[in-house]
Amino acid sequence: MTKWGWTLNNLISRFFRGLKFSTKITLGMTFMLIFTGLGLGLMLSAMSSEALLEEGRKRGMALTSGLAFRLAEPILAVDFLQMKNLIDNVHTQYADVLYIFLTDASGNIVSHTFSGGFPTDLLAVNLDEDTLQPILLATEHGLVYDFRGRIILGENKLGIVRLGLSRSAMDAQINRQRLTSLLSTAGVVGLGILLSLWFARTVTLRLNRLRQSAEEIVKGNLDVHAGFSLEKNCWEIMNCDQAQCPAYGDTRRRCWYLAGTLCPDCHGKSYPHKMESCRQCLVFKHNFGDEIQDLAEAFDAMAITVKKHIEELTEREKTIARQQGLLKTIMNVTPDFITLQDKDLVYRFASKAFCDYFDLSEEDIVGKTDFDIFSRRQADLNYHEDRQILITRQPLTKEITFKRPEGQRWFHVVKVPVQDQDGGIMGLLLTARDISVLKKFQEQLIQSQKMEDLGRLAGGVAHEINTPLGIILGYTQLLMDDIKDEELLADLKIVEKQTKVCRKIVADLLGFSRHSHSVSEAVDVNTSLQEVIKLVEHVFFLNRIRILHALAEHVPTLTGDRERLKQVWLNLLNNAADAIGQDGLIYVQSRLGDKGQKVEISFTDTGKGVAREHLSKIFDPFFTTKEVGKGTGLGLSVSFGIIREHGGRITAHSPPPPQYLPMGFQPGETFGPGTVFIVELPLEHREAPRAEEGKGSTGTSS
Amino acid sequence: MTGRFHSFFLLVTALLLFSCGEGEEAIKVSLDKREEIFFRPQVPAITYAYLPQYSHTESFQRHHRLVAYLAEETGLSIRQVFPDTFDDHINMFGQGKIDISFSNPFVYVKLANRFGARAMARIIEEDGRAEFRSQIIARRDNKEIQTIADSRGRSWVAVDPSSAGGYLFPLGHFIAHGLQLDDFSEVVFAGGRQENVILGVYAGLHDIGSIREGSLAVVADKIDIDQIRVIDYSAWYPGWVYAHSPRLPREVVEAIRDAMLRLDYAGNPRHREILAAARFIGFMPSDDRDFDLIRDLSDKVGLDLE
Repeated sequence: MTKWGWTLNNLISRFFRGLKFSTKITLGMTFMLIFTGLGLGLMLSAMSSEALLEEGRKRGMALTSGLAFRLAEPILAVDFLQMKNLIDNVHTQYADVLYIFLTDASGNIVSHTFSGGFPTDLLAVNLDEDTLQPILLATEHGLVYDFRGRIILGENKLGIVRLGLSRSAMDAQINRQRLTSLLSTAGVVGLGILLSLWFARTVTLRLNRLRQSAEEIVKGNLDVHAGFSLEKNCWEIMNCDQAQCPAYGDTRRRCWYLAGTLCPDCHGKSYPHKMESCRQCLVFKHNFGDEIQDLAEAFDAMAITVKKHIEELTEREKTIARQQGLLKTIMNVTPDFITLQDKDLVYRFASKAFCDYFDLSEEDIVGKTDFDIFSRRQADLNYHEDRQILITRQPLTKEITFKRPEGQRWFHVVKVPVQDQDGGIMGLLLTARDISVLKKFQEQLIQSQKMEDLGRLAGGVAHEINTPLGIILGYTQLLMDDIKDEELLADLKIVEKQTKVCRKIVADLLGFSRHSHSVSEAVDVNTSLQEVIKLVEHVFFLNRIRILHALAEHVPTLTGDRERLKQVWLNLLNNAADAIGQDGLIYVQSRLGDKGQKVEISFTDTGKGVAREHLSKIFDPFFTTKEVGKGTGLGLSVSFGIIREHGGRITAHSPPPPQYLPMGFQPGETFGPGTVFIVELPLEHREAPRAEEGKGSTGTSS
Repeated sequence: MTGRFHSFFLLVTALLLFSCGEGEEAIKVSLDKREEIFFRPQVPAITYAYLPQYSHTESFQRHHRLVAYLAEETGLSIRQVFPDTFDDHINMFGQGKIDISFSNPFVYVKLANRFGARAMARIIEEDGRAEFRSQIIARRDNKEIQTIADSRGRSWVAVDPSSAGGYLFPLGHFIAHGLQLDDFSEVVFAGGRQENVILGVYAGLHDIGSIREGSLAVVADKIDIDQIRVIDYSAWYPGWVYAHSPRLPREVVEAIRDAMLRLDYAGNPRHREILAAARFIGFMPSDDRDFDLIRDLSDKVGLDLE
């Protein structure tokens, strides 16, 4: 192909590519129709023209042959009139017969239809016997078919008849036929173009709907409708009223695309497995369209299905996001340390508590290993431990402790290997919980239990010793009555005195273990406090210890043993004075607490305070920080027992919190850190829960 | 795809080109260039005519070979002419337009009586006889006509009032059996054609017909002649005769008669072909006396042969 040919071809290709699809269809159909119509029209026209000419030739030949047959007799009879009549009859009967003439066997023109002479040119043509008839003559009157018919009788030639048939009539008929053919072809082509326009429009209309639907889907709008609405829906065709069927009421999807339809022949199958039965269904036969409709309907079904899936996915995404948010909140709020490492021990997640504890951000941890975060030694320990967990697939549980500036911290650590769906190890999950408080509670519980056990022991021992002591004291006093010897009497008095000391100790032990008798009466706390304060105020003053008190008014009476409570106040005041020694301040408060359900009495001193390590032991029997011989170590224990007996609790804090100090308190030079003992008594006397007892010994120390 | 499109395009183009072609060449002639044409006069010749009992073409086909033979044998120019009717034949003979007449005996008697025609030879029929007779025919399915007596009151078609075998012989036969012309419902003539009589009866237009014996074979290729039944035959009469004009020189007559008599049906294939076409097998010499039987019959039927 030449360069110009290529260029033309490219131009045509570009032109066609740029056309709309409907225009392409219409143009293609038009070209096809014109080519085919023109080709067929011309071919058929040529064939019919040839047929018309052939018919004309046959007609001329038939006329000539007929004449030749009929002219035999008149020629034989030399009947010129009959000859003339015969040829004139044919000549006048047919307008397109231009001439007829007759020659005898000798070549004489015996008759003809010409007037005014004979066109002798005719005698020079069509002479040959073997010439295929007719021959075409071009005359002044147009084209003429000249037919030559022999008049034969047996083998004898009697003459020749020649007949001239005008072709103009045939040509006119041919032209009419051609015009008709052309007009018919043009009409058919025009109709075909209209049909192709309609066809192209019909096809492209649906394709355009499909395209627009596809564009809408690309834009994210899945609520498209590419197919056309049906005249009758399946439930209308089948007279079905099964509203629970998924196809019922669905005007956009064809029922054969839907799974779980309740058609009798579907048997719960889904597309495309149900198609075999659907093809026999009346609904399918009624509603099934061509491939484009099928495509559009499948497209709609796909869009709805995709939309449904996307909605489900969106809903799931929301749920996941919500759960993620929830999980993140939990992770951020939970005080537990949670980390997730992959199988290469690279951190993939770290909870906020973990980050905060190590004062790192999440970005500092995620994507890093222990070697990037901790000390080389710690990281090395972790690495080997983690590796062993991943290899053995055995979880690890342990408690670890750290020394921190704010105190010792305990953590309960669990490391669990994480498996994926295939059972392979995909990482390591670490959870660690700060159990420092729990540890402290555990210690307190142990302490409380110890106190309980001690009280029970002391009570038992005291009870057993009390009787022999009474006997010893009784017999000692009897002996003292009977013995006159002064020296012996002095010894017995020592025995009596020490026995009384022992009985006092035993009584205290019994008081601690509640093995002593108590009375139940209405006790005004403030009054009992004031009585005790008056009792010791003077003595304390001698040591320059002042007692300040701030007793709340309208403190209701509580039920209890007044004397024993006074003993507690006395013990605590003595204890405070002992802690102060000289020059100090004791501050006594009473107030209603816990919404009027209890009375809180606090004794704050400016003494030397209690060491932190002693705070948990100060209520132990016989525990004392005083010098030997200065106290039995039972005062606080007895007080603890009495308060517990009243359903209350007693705690000590050293140094005292500010709210337990008097307003405007200025620490003096001689003041120690001080201690506060807080007694909480319920207004309605009941036994305090055993778990609460542990709190009785809590204390703080700075 | 492109190749197919090109092939289709080429096919359509070829069809278009083919469709547009005419393919006929015309010879130029002028119809306006006229000249007067004159008939070239015919060479003088002895005219030979066969009494037109058949069509001209049948007459021509039967006799043109014999005419050619006679011309060839005698060295004379002899041309067959075709009178249209029996009267025409007689008149043409009288006018000198016919020199040699081949006619039935009645016409011969007329020609002899009126114009001095002289018998020169009689033909021998295919059955070997020089006489012939008539057949009275009816449709085979016409059960009402079984004998000649059943002809009474019927329609009779005859060949021509001058026809011997086709009218006069059967008329004599009817008269001999007591049937006069008035006894027929009608007597129709078929224009001198034997075939028309047969066809008239065959078509049921007429109840009975009269023909020369042997005529049925002529129409055997046109109709089913089994549908025709021969009711009766006439008596035998002298057959067809050649007569010559009294103006014809004697030596010419002799030469022609000799040539006729030389025809050998059995021994010469060419002669046999000539005679077979003429539907007879030979000639025998004849003179006027042979036809006195005819003159008697004419008297009997009241026919004026003068």
